[in-house]
Amino acid sequence: MSSINSVTQTADQTPDSATPEPARLDLPAGVLALAFPGAGHALRGDPRRGLLIAFGVLGLFFTGLLTGGIDAIDSKEDRLWFIGQAFVGPITFIVDGIHQRAFKAYDADALRGHLTGAGANPRPRNAAAPPPRAASPGERADTVPINGAEYRVSSPADDPIAAPPMRKGLAKVNELAALLVTLAGMLNFIAILDALIPSRPRAARSKS
Amino acid sequence: MPPLPASFLLAWRPFLDPLDLQAHWFWLLPPTAFFLAVAYRAVRMPSLKGYWRAVISMTAQIIVAIVALGAAIYVLIERLLPIIPPMRPL
Repeated sequence: MSSINSVTQTADQTPDSATPEPARLDLPAGVLALAFPGAGHALRGDPRRGLLIAFGVLGLFFTGLLTGGIDAIDSKEDRLWFIGQAFVGPITFIVDGIHQRAFKAYDADALRGHLTGAGANPRPRNAAAPPPRAASPGERADTVPINGAEYRVSSPADDPIAAPPMRKGLAKVNELAALLVTLAGMLNFIAILDALIPSRPRAARSKS
Repeated sequence: MPPLPASFLLAWRPFLDPLDLQAHWFWLLPPTAFFLAVAYRAVRMPSLKGYWRAVISMTAQIIVAIVALGAAIYVLIERLLPIIPPMRPL
């Protein structure tokens, strides 16, 4: 009998080693980590770790943008890449919004054909697909009215110093730039999970 | 190593236009490995003691592993595969 009691007491004295605590979700930290890389860990009282996560994730993000230009993030033409990139947070959506609204340009004829189904470039079978974008050097952005709405299109440059709205990333540089930004998103996904479900060693340390 | 083209930085607008790195893309490996190690180690290490040593170590491991993988694939594609199916003139 006494031996049974002693075994029970020993088990009670060391509950951590016998039964692991169930992981508890830290929702505010998870949401903050999604809003800005590293912010979730800063909220959990680990600002240095949060800063390092932000440095790594945003370093990858901006290296990708610096290498591939704004075309590295494109929710319309590179949707699968964009799903991974979205985990960097709102900054990805802001850059994509700027890209789509202010810098993306379409070939005027192709866009007219896409929207009206007329001309040399008739409407494609999948009307929801984005119209092809001209990547010709020397193009310039213009706004033209089509079907009562104004669209930003590209036109051949009649001004020798006119610059294109942006140059399209091609081949390896475009692929690697998209990969860098997607890696940033995947890494931040790990950071979001770590902020949302604190790992045991760190939870134990914060208790002490 | 091919020389950098004259148009490398010509009329380049940072964060808008892509860099002309088509022949020099492999220089992206060190910064990629470094930033990846910085974020991954920050998440995974229980304590940040010895953090930068771990980051440098992981960066070196990634670079060596990718270079070794590239070399292995080169040997497989360029040396071994031509031996397996003998190339005969038509």
